[in-house]
Amino acid sequence: MNIWNDLLDEVKKNLPDEIECELKLMHSKSALTRFANSQIHQNVDEESAEIYLTIHKDSKTTTISNNLTAIKDVGEFVNKALVSLEDSPIDKGWSGLPDKSNSYEGFKDLEESTPDDRAKVVKEFIEEGKSMNAAGYCSTYINNYFVWNSNGLNSCDSSSSAFIDGIFRTDTSAGSSHRGGQTLASLEGTAAGFEAAKLATDSQNPVDIDPGNYEVVLGHEAVSTILVFLGVYGFNAKSKIDGMSPIIIGEQQFDEKISLIDTPEDQDSIGFKIDASGSKKLNLDVINNGVPQSYFHTRRTANELGMKNTFHELFGWGENFGGIGTNVKLLNGDKSFEDMISDVKKGIYINEFWYCRVLDPITQVVTGLNRNGSFLVENGKITKPVGRLRFTQSFISALANGNVESVGNHSRYADSEFGEGILSVPQLHLKEFNFTGGVSG
Amino acid sequence: MFEYLELAIDSAVNSGAKYSDARILISKSRNIAAKNGEVENYNESEKIGIGIRALVGSSWGFYSTYDLSKPSLTNAGIRAFQTAKASSMVSGDDLPFADVPVVEDSYTTPHDENPFSISSTDQVDLLLRSTEQMKKLGSSRASGRLDFWDTEKWFASSQGHKIYQNIIESGGGISSLAVGDGETQIRSYPQSFGEYRTGGWEVIKSFEFENHTERLAEESQRLLVAPQCPEGTMDLILEGSQLALQIHESVGHAIELDRILGWEAAYAGTSHLDLTKLNQHKYGSELMNIVADATLPGALATFKYDDEGTPAQRVDIVKEGIWTGVLSGRDSAAVAGVKPGGMVRADGFGRLPMVRMTNVGLLPGTSSLDEIIQSTEDGVYMETNRSWSIDDLRLNFQFGCEVGWLVKNGKIIDMVKNPTYTGITPQFWGNMDMLAGEEEWVFWGTPNCGKGQPSQVGHTGHPASPARFKDTRIGVRG
Repeated sequence: MNIWNDLLDEVKKNLPDEIECELKLMHSKSALTRFANSQIHQNVDEESAEIYLTIHKDSKTTTISNNLTAIKDVGEFVNKALVSLEDSPIDKGWSGLPDKSNSYEGFKDLEESTPDDRAKVVKEFIEEGKSMNAAGYCSTYINNYFVWNSNGLNSCDSSSSAFIDGIFRTDTSAGSSHRGGQTLASLEGTAAGFEAAKLATDSQNPVDIDPGNYEVVLGHEAVSTILVFLGVYGFNAKSKIDGMSPIIIGEQQFDEKISLIDTPEDQDSIGFKIDASGSKKLNLDVINNGVPQSYFHTRRTANELGMKNTFHELFGWGENFGGIGTNVKLLNGDKSFEDMISDVKKGIYINEFWYCRVLDPITQVVTGLNRNGSFLVENGKITKPVGRLRFTQSFISALANGNVESVGNHSRYADSEFGEGILSVPQLHLKEFNFTGGVSG
Repeated sequence: MFEYLELAIDSAVNSGAKYSDARILISKSRNIAAKNGEVENYNESEKIGIGIRALVGSSWGFYSTYDLSKPSLTNAGIRAFQTAKASSMVSGDDLPFADVPVVEDSYTTPHDENPFSISSTDQVDLLLRSTEQMKKLGSSRASGRLDFWDTEKWFASSQGHKIYQNIIESGGGISSLAVGDGETQIRSYPQSFGEYRTGGWEVIKSFEFENHTERLAEESQRLLVAPQCPEGTMDLILEGSQLALQIHESVGHAIELDRILGWEAAYAGTSHLDLTKLNQHKYGSELMNIVADATLPGALATFKYDDEGTPAQRVDIVKEGIWTGVLSGRDSAAVAGVKPGGMVRADGFGRLPMVRMTNVGLLPGTSSLDEIIQSTEDGVYMETNRSWSIDDLRLNFQFGCEVGWLVKNGKIIDMVKNPTYTGITPQFWGNMDMLAGEEEWVFWGTPNCGKGQPSQVGHTGHPASPARFKDTRIGVRG
């Protein structure tokens, strides 16, 4: 890309000798078509180009960032970083720059979607609900990422992704569904619409049930939320450094049926093949038959803990946030959804969680609610829709040894409280889940 | 900049848009984070770009770009129009749009010292000193952060608005985390995630971090050995910053007109409020008087015009317990048949403006925190938010706080840990029976309100003073 090549040439010209430097450019074209009350009401389209310059000398580090238009003169931009470096305190956590051998060439000139293309997917979704009230979005992203450093690394990569996510509502119920993929053409708008419409239809006129401990079958989105919380607060090595991670490598903390992997090298994974440092990402065992295998590391966390970098650094403020897995898959089990339901004596099927928040990171006790399709299951059959429930439950205990009855045999990309396109998961049947409140509080 | 905006707007209107407006922003930020006496993050950022929206039929089209060249600006107007027009495949009735006075004006946030003119070394040193001191006093992780934003914004519309605003915001905070055997405890000041206001470096100086480090370090460690918060139904006393978040979640979001109209249904949710019950619905006790006031000097959501050119104003939301108002924009107000409230803002140039809370606050009462405690026989006083969760109708909520203080027979007798409370919005507010006065009324600011798709972060204000809520369920644990 010309803007990258021009920028890089100018930065190199203005850099003093004997300084460690890392230059990054994220160029993005994103579009999102939003619908509510069964019509498109907001339709947005954005092009952005953000640049991060990090320099390090005499044990001091500084980072400045501008978008392309804000860099009126590259010499001034570099000079601003040099002045900032002088004022910076000693950076004890500096962990160096990856070298040339980590370089990766993956730039592709990807075609962006048109608003008409997105409207077609939205139409497919909405039509499945017939007269029900539909709301949601269809989005597409094309991202190009470039990294150069003074240690010889020169990497670039491109990625595309697309999502359809929506709900149908009746006067007394709602049902939701979600699909993600690398391209708009890969999305199943009709299938997602059908799923959401069925959940909304079937969950009309819900009954209130008493809070307490219940068996649960969790839908894709609910499972995804549990895992993303464990990822951010547990497997993120920065949480370990801060003394807030409950994860203990090598210990049987989870049920044997739980195996989690991060798969950036897989062809069907969404996102870049490189991390923010420009290094090629590698597939990683995260949990193997219930035993944690690794944290998600950045250069800094690996350096501080004396562990191996797993290349999970995020662009932007990612280095400060720690390492996050962005291609996480929970391995399938052997149960169909129907078989999971038929195994339940008395329990609840929950399609999706809502507004989950951690009460204490180290115990992973989280509170939140259900929404968009919940049903009472009795003697192996879904018997009636149920209303709003609040849970207060440790997510570690939810997946603990002995509490996972079965793992579903079908995975898909699922939305989560921290973003989409980062988790592909099956459904789960858990022995106990603690609901602490109902519709009356 | 106005000629750039006009170029883009003319392009959208000439393409066929019924209405168009655009904003060019120069957004500067400085973010500093420290941990245990060392800098964890320092970043300065500057972004420049344009965001233009076009109204066609029932939909908004929006396009944003960093490229301010003339061909790009012309293209931006065309793209905004084309994007809106594509919505006709799944369209509805034409979206009405209320008129507001067409003005040419400018505004700058009143401030003493622009935070970007203060040496970054001084700002870093403040955090290093505070966190180092807490670390020495036994904190497992002593953290601090400062954030500054200087946003120049040029707004123009196809109706003739030309408005320049320079909004300056400053904020930050410090916290001490104690790690015990299988648990963590934290104390923060001025509130969790920091306190933010419009204004300059003087905002940070007023916090006097150095006077609070010892207390934070001590309380965070003491919490590790404190007894658990009792479970049961009793009186709940909330400190101001926690009450501010309670207002944000159970009132502020519920009164957003776009949510009430279903425009946010899939993501943020809707509201338990029904427009046919406006001026009738009982939201809380007679002590409950909520206003949305974007004109409060120094509060975080204070400006002169919103991102649709509507003047900042004060709107009654709840009067003596009765729901009387909503947060609205020019389109949602026209749909609902109310006056536009000037509450539409965007997160930078790259996002579509949407209904946002201004300073949605609880007007002070006549009591004081001391009086409230003295008149409480059996209750818990909770300070500083630690967790928050509420359903998508903004009815069923559960909050956790950093620290609780057991109150018996008018006196604080013990510290308790892991305090939580839960409730249902109208019942909870209906149980508010004591409210502290103006002397304890603080313009709390929330800098991290998420809403919209693509996601946007909003800066909102919530003036509040301490209050008591009778018969509240306390001590929910997993």
